[in-house]
This record gives sequence, C-alpha cells and structure tokens, in this order.
Amino acid sequence: RYVLCEVVSEDPRCRQCIEDRALGLAVRDAIARVHGDYGLARCSISFTVKYLNAYTGTVLLRCRKDSYRLLCSALPFVRYLESRAQRYPCFLNTLHVGGTIRTCQKFLIQYNTTQLLRLLKNCTNEEERQCVQKSLLSCSLTEEQSQSGDEEEEDDGTE
Amino acid sequence: FERRVLRGAAEHHYLRVRLELPDGGARPNAAQFKQLVVTALRELHGEVGAALPVDVLTYEEKTVSAILRVISSGLVKLWSALTLLGFYQNRRCAFRVLQTSPFLLALSGNSRELVL
Repeated sequence: RYVLCEVVSEDPRCRQCIEDRALGLAVRDAIARVHGDYGLARCSISFTVKYLNAYTGTVLLRCRKDSYRLLCSALPFVRYLESRAQRYPCFLNTLHVGGTIRTCQKFLIQYNTTQLLRLLKNCTNEEERQCVQKSLLSCSLTEEQSQSGDEEEEDDGTE
Repeated sequence: FERRVLRGAAEHHYLRVRLELPDGGARPNAAQFKQLVVTALRELHGEVGAALPVDVLTYEEKTVSAILRVISSGLVKLWSALTLLGFYQNRRCAFRVLQTSPFLLALSGNSRELVL
C-alpha cells in the first residue's frame, strides 16, 4: 500500500531540510512508541519513503498491505522532524491511501490543481494572481505541465 | 499465530498466572505486579498495548500468582507480552500461565493438580 501525506509546519525553515532518511526515522520512531516492538517489526518489513517533494512537503510512503493500518494510526504521533541536530515541530496530514503509485500520482495531480485554485482565491496582490492563473492554464493543457504548476506554487508560498 | 473468535464467546478472558523469580528476592505487591504487566504490554505492543484494559482480580503475594482479566480481543497481546517479559528490576523472571478460560468459574478447578 502507498500512503500519500503532506508535511505541515509553521516553521519555514523546516521545508528546506526535509530529507527522506530523517522522515523515515521519525515515522519509525512514532510506530515504535505507539505499537511497540511488535508493531515496529511488522511495519518495517518493507517500509520505505518512495517520493519526497521538499517544495510542497508531499511524501509518499510504502508499506505492506497487512500493516498499513498500523502505519496510518501512528502517523498523527509524528510531532517533529530532526535533521542536523535541529528539531522542527511539524505534523503529517494523510491525503490518500492507494494500492499503486499510479493512483497516488493521479490523486496528487488533482489535489495540486485544487490547491492552486484555492491559492487563487486567497491571493492578495495582482501579480500573484497573474502567476497562479498562468500556472493553472498551463496545468490544464497536458499532464506533464502540472510539474511546472508545483514550482509556481512554491514561488507563491515564499511571496 | 491467529486466534479466531466465535460470535458466541464471552467478552472477557481470565488467566491464572504465576511469576517465577528463581533468585528469591523481594516479592512485588499488587500495585507493582500490575505495573509489571502494563510495562510488559508497553514494551511489546507500545502505547496501544499499555492502554489495553487489564484487571488483576486476585493477587497472592506468597505464591506470586494472580488471576488476570482481559478483553477477549486482547488475549493474544497480553499472553505474548507476558511470555516475552524477561526482567523485573534487573532480575530474571518468567511468567507461567497455569490456566486460561473465558469463564471465571472454570479457573477454580485444576485437573493438573488432581490427586487420584
């Protein structure tokens, strides 16, 4: 099973320091605390961080079909990410659970377009509005263009 | 292993256990015994296991044996946690499960100690 989640944090520096190993360790630690040795061993059999997008904070985790419920129940207990001896408070939001990477990718594309629409509504300046509208129009043409939509979203986030 | 429960089974399971302390030191009292059981559950099954509703119905300090009650869905977790507990206050110890039954009355008679 593939679990798609989003890392939400108030600290802006946290976004740049998200690494796959640090995130994997944080999730494993949370599983060990919540489900003990047995749960940790059962979930870690084939647990990996498949995809990580530091700009939007999107993470795709892979685990076994029999133990994905243990993993999902332990995700709310991830409270901080630790990397380079710095602790950043954050929490994980579960977006979608799918059986293949392709379904998660389809969901992520739809989710990103809805996020762009939401950003358009919350835009304050006119130039932000122009940027978002341009990326939205480019999204609807082909599927590969949505990658450029992700990078446009990062610019709006830092502005 | 997997345990399949039939719909008609009772909701609680009762276990008669004895804690063996081979080096004969101070025996735990009732509160310490319960703390030991919860610690064993926490080590093996985490916070979810430690939150399992386990009750110590009776406790005898002389023989260090007790009757535990647990919700039927948690029997496997409790039994596996008791089996894998190795240390009590840095002393080696072992839990022996003498009897188990979904009915409390069945624990009063023990055919192993029957004298013919």
